[in-house]
Amino acid sequence: MSHAPTGLPFARTEVLADGTALVTIGGAWELNQPLPPIVIKGDRAKVVAEGLTDFDSSLPAWLYANFKNIRQLDISTLPARLQSLVQMAEKASSDHAQSDHAGLLETFGNWGVESGGSWARAFEHIGNTALGFLKMLVGRAKVNWGDFTLQLQTAGVDALPIVALLGFLTGLIMAYVGLIQLRQVGATVYVANLVSLAMTREMGALMTGIIACGRTSTAYASQLGSMNVSQETDALRALGINPIEYLALPRILAVTLMVPLLAVFATFIGIFGGMIVACAGDLSIEQYLTQAIRAITFKSFLVGFIKSIAFGFIAAWAGCYRGSVAKRSALGVGEAATSAAVLGITFIVIFDAIFAVIFNLFDL
Amino acid sequence: MSEIPDILTCTDLAIGHGKTVIMDRLNLSLAPGKILAIVGPSGCGKSTLMRALGGLDEPLGGKTTLMGVDLATANGQERQDILRQSGFLFQGAALFSSLTLRENIEMPMREFLKTPRKDIRQLAEYKLALVGLADAMDKLPSEISGGMAKRAGIARAMALDPAVIFLDEPSAGLDPVSSGRLDELILRLREAYGTTIILVSHEIPSILRTADFCVYLDPDTGTMGAYGPPKGFLQAGNSPKVHAFFTQARFD
Repeated sequence: MSHAPTGLPFARTEVLADGTALVTIGGAWELNQPLPPIVIKGDRAKVVAEGLTDFDSSLPAWLYANFKNIRQLDISTLPARLQSLVQMAEKASSDHAQSDHAGLLETFGNWGVESGGSWARAFEHIGNTALGFLKMLVGRAKVNWGDFTLQLQTAGVDALPIVALLGFLTGLIMAYVGLIQLRQVGATVYVANLVSLAMTREMGALMTGIIACGRTSTAYASQLGSMNVSQETDALRALGINPIEYLALPRILAVTLMVPLLAVFATFIGIFGGMIVACAGDLSIEQYLTQAIRAITFKSFLVGFIKSIAFGFIAAWAGCYRGSVAKRSALGVGEAATSAAVLGITFIVIFDAIFAVIFNLFDL
Repeated sequence: MSEIPDILTCTDLAIGHGKTVIMDRLNLSLAPGKILAIVGPSGCGKSTLMRALGGLDEPLGGKTTLMGVDLATANGQERQDILRQSGFLFQGAALFSSLTLRENIEMPMREFLKTPRKDIRQLAEYKLALVGLADAMDKLPSEISGGMAKRAGIARAMALDPAVIFLDEPSAGLDPVSSGRLDELILRLREAYGTTIILVSHEIPSILRTADFCVYLDPDTGTMGAYGPPKGFLQAGNSPKVHAFFTQARFD
């Protein structure tokens, strides 16, 4: 009878006259080496040891994996300590059924149900936020006002440098592109109208909304998601405090208040950025400012302002909503932050288009 | 006959948080394959002592040797090797929340073993089956109970067949049947592989069933109140405080 090389684990199978599979194991079984392959036919098996020098958990794991479905298994001649390790795993798992895997159709169905549930949860969150706001107005909501002032600072004042930089560059780029085109028709003076109107009606609000999504939505989703993980939101519920009122409302209010102010700031900085390019080209400062002031009407200012209020609300709500439904894991918090930014930016662009149609209808 | 050296010794060990000493003058030694239980009132420093013995935290004074290596003078590589041969179960289980239970067990194996992927899968399934989690392998830690997370944490601590396993309150949150099964698992691990086990526990019946030695930390004196076989603590002896702790906890 041939033997496996000394030291390496081996398993040999032969079928006895009564159909029982006789498996002979031996060698030194260590975690750090491949385990021998084995195929068992039938539902009866007997395992015997021959030259079994040493083993760690790899041997009971191998026996457990390969023999757990054998109806009649005889391991009575194996070392007692090995038998006990195999039997213990079998005993602990015998009462439990294996978890079943979902098929393709079920997976698709689950996706459909989850998507529907996700939209339902989103509308529920918006509804609860509106209710919380009404309760706050009549003084019946428990709102964390400490959070509100902190968020005014972090979502508003702290965002000034990035809003200034991006607003300035937006105005500068628009003026540069506009100047090249308008020069061809000898109308470079209108570059001031282009920049000031675009910044006031559109770009000031849009850029600030997108910055709020990237900066504030993700932060809110992470904060609220982490609080979900550490069961802080459950603790609030247990105390009879609605987490949406206590955590989401001050954040949404703060951002809805600060984004319009930041948008106005971005608008002026953008117009200033445009002036730098225009004056480096064909225009004087006086010409640029006269044209810009003439172009900005109260209507266009109102359009930009209304948009920025909506964009601020969307950015804050997206963060709070995704954070509140985040899965209770580090991965879940990361996913919540990403999806908050995506959801916020998508909704801002969609609502920008809707606003364009509405303002056109009302001749604004 | 040559004497087997102790796997763990500590001499005049002082432990604490920051610069605040909470326990000092700790002296104990443990032979390989023995089970040591650390007991004492809440907040007395049991987990802190366990972390210091395992080399996770720097002690504030004294000397600790684990597997013959002085943890105070060990270089980075030696310390890594020691940690690799140790398994830890933390109080909150500390499972990786983005990985399934099976992936949690497979992770250290993938990092440190050259074993093929399918064998690693078998090993992980076996370790989870040992702790009664064969049906929850594909669940995330967020989808299981605290007791199940504890058991999965134990399976991960056993992943690399460590020479020493540190268990911080392994029975906390477990039902009596699972707790009894865990005691059996601890004893079988020791019997099968000669694993040394150091556990922090409040479960006196479990300690009496499993532990060979027990150290009682006394917060009033700031040092160990007693050290010896736990059954001896039940008899009225030199330390009435230890005796009271054991008998009261046992019959509460």
